Amino acid sequence: MSPHAKPASLYAAVHVAEFPAQSILRLRPDLQSSPTVILDGSPPQERVCALNSHARKRGVIPGLTRLEVEEVGNITILTRSAETETAARTVLLETLSQFSPRIEEVLADNACSFVLDIAGSERLFGSPDQIAHRLRETIVASGFRASISISSNFHTARIKSEFSRGISVIPYDRESTALASIPISALHLDLDHYETFALWGIGTLGELAALPEDEMIPRFGQPSRTWLALARGNADHTFHPLEEKFELKEHIEFETHIEQLDALLFIGANMIGNLVARASCRALSLSSIRIEMLLERSLLYKRLIQPAIPSDDRKFLLKLLQLELAAHPPQAAVVSLTLTADAGRQSKIQLGLFAPQAPEPSRLDVTLARLKAMVGPDRVGSPALLDSHCPGRFQMQDFSVINQHPQSQQVTTPRTSLRRIRPPHTLSLQTHDGKPKAFRDGPSRFEISIAYGPWQSSGCWWDVDRWDLEEWDVMATTTNGESISCLLIHDHLNGKWLLDAYYD
Amino acid sequence: MPSSTALRQQIETAFQHRYPSVLTPSPKTIREVIPTGITQIDELLNGGIPVGAITELTGPASSGRTSIAISALAQRTREGSVCAWIDAKDSFDPESAAAVGVSLNYLLWVRCSEKTATRSDRQRTNQTRDQQPWTRLDQALRATDLLLQSGGFSSIVLDLADESIEHGRRIPLATWFRYRQAANRTRCSLLVLGKAPFAQSSAAVVLECQRAAVDSVYSTVIRTFNYKAHRQRERFSHITSIDRKPPVSTWSAQTAWDDEKRA
Repeated sequence: MSPHAKPASLYAAVHVAEFPAQSILRLRPDLQSSPTVILDGSPPQERVCALNSHARKRGVIPGLTRLEVEEVGNITILTRSAETETAARTVLLETLSQFSPRIEEVLADNACSFVLDIAGSERLFGSPDQIAHRLRETIVASGFRASISISSNFHTARIKSEFSRGISVIPYDRESTALASIPISALHLDLDHYETFALWGIGTLGELAALPEDEMIPRFGQPSRTWLALARGNADHTFHPLEEKFELKEHIEFETHIEQLDALLFIGANMIGNLVARASCRALSLSSIRIEMLLERSLLYKRLIQPAIPSDDRKFLLKLLQLELAAHPPQAAVVSLTLTADAGRQSKIQLGLFAPQAPEPSRLDVTLARLKAMVGPDRVGSPALLDSHCPGRFQMQDFSVINQHPQSQQVTTPRTSLRRIRPPHTLSLQTHDGKPKAFRDGPSRFEISIAYGPWQSSGCWWDVDRWDLEEWDVMATTTNGESISCLLIHDHLNGKWLLDAYYD
Repeated sequence: MPSSTALRQQIETAFQHRYPSVLTPSPKTIREVIPTGITQIDELLNGGIPVGAITELTGPASSGRTSIAISALAQRTREGSVCAWIDAKDSFDPESAAAVGVSLNYLLWVRCSEKTATRSDRQRTNQTRDQQPWTRLDQALRATDLLLQSGGFSSIVLDLADESIEHGRRIPLATWFRYRQAANRTRCSLLVLGKAPFAQSSAAVVLECQRAAVDSVYSTVIRTFNYKAHRQRERFSHITSIDRKPPVSTWSAQTAWDDEKRA
């Protein structure tokens, strides 16, 4: 390869400055247009660690104390959150992974910086300039503002993105020119070396690059060779790509504890939107969302949203979140909110032309959530009979229309059905020759004309759920002529007569 | 000699003030029905309960209303259709339904209760303003509305069989009218169980059920329950001069244990 041929390597560096502020503000669009600072440290020694441009325009600089910031006035003060930053870093990484699977993280103070190996991706995303613009659009859609630099040299891209704004595309062989105006603080030298360079009148990388290498090494040793290579834009680098686990998680901590569900949903909508967008990048949907909240008095709140089929419909998932929170409102103000989603395959239900009608799964989910909020979560579903001889034993199961098959047998003759009374009414009953003769249920008195029984039933004598019942099928008539067929129970354990069911 | 057409026109013209189109047969609309699985009831209803309409099963306790409704659901769930039972008084018996042949995994059971959410579940701050809980009847009506509007259910049973007649008649007519429209739109058969007809003009069919007698085996165990059913109203049937009294039918339902014994 000739020395001027285009190299095979191409790197895109993404630098998100003021990351503690950006990680919080991306979930708080209401604060993005107002001056906001992030404080770090334990009270009363909290200091500004990050701020947005509006706060900078008001004269706030990093390192100010809370008192000094409050003196400026009308500035929103938030507290730094490590969990929010971790979640935001994951989101940013997920966003960048749409462009390249090879991403290396670069350590940067107060910022989040990644370098992508985008060599060979021109046919997918276009020229380096087009890649840079598409990168910026995607990053902005994720809620971040970043400076982007593209170069064939790893360190050139990294340094340029850190010290410039917007997009910089550095052509091959023009690295030293692109870095010329950047201060030598980009090299992170010792203080002594900075003083020496200051005495020599060297303040930028361009001035440093002009120094002869043979003269530098006797004075600064071998590290100076690296400095010069960095300043000239030809330093070597061995790429160490990250191997991150795919995790759909969003976390936010609130500076003032939230009591109203509407305010919580406003934030939750953003978080769900981000989760859906990240899952969609991998052609996935959300199969479940775990809601975790830290409440005041260190209470924990956990709920699970599980749609019938994985969904990437943001509005639908937000509706489920709203109904879940309405059905189970937090018992105290919310300190922090975490949404963790499980990814599932994007699936659609194939409906048949001649198949019987069935509710649309996603719509049914919302309907069931509304019903559960109204009558209680354990009172909506499909009944499932329990394997027990005890009468009336069943459990409620979640209702679903997916992958169900009829379980019943054909019954040729009509059968009578019972109407249960839950809980059974306690009766005052009169007997004659051991048979029920009359009973009183509330204000009504019933004369029993026919009584068939007793049918003994008992079981689970070893358990607290034991039963010992005597059943009677009776035909009874009230004084005003109303007649009923009902099932009376004599509960031997409690010594009570109960009206358990009607035949109807 | 006048032709038959001319003669018919002449007669119709003569009678048009009293009987419009007296010799022209009215157009017949074939309504889709679903069988209940009880032959006598199906014959009484000209094939079964209508699809996309409200059917009311009325009568006192032990008159066979629940048995007819469950039998109809058994027919629907067996063919894979999804049904719902909205239970205002939590009196549905899954064991009976399974014995009749209802596929329980195709049945959505909504058990209304007293101890539940407040009317306004939108904002916690509104709770003090609107603390009144949903009553069972409110819940049942709201649940019916939700399920009818969501669509996809082939049959919905609104069980108000234990509600008092006074409460049932307080349900606004607008509610029944809305149900009728929604049922028609979503092709859903809405069965309403009650002590008396509540839906009034919105009901397509009203079947009044009565208890007749009980058969037993050697006076030791009940064998069959005999019921009587009167068709009180049928919106889609043709009015004939012969139907001076509402059609009546008797039917009987075996007990589950007697059926097992015979098998």
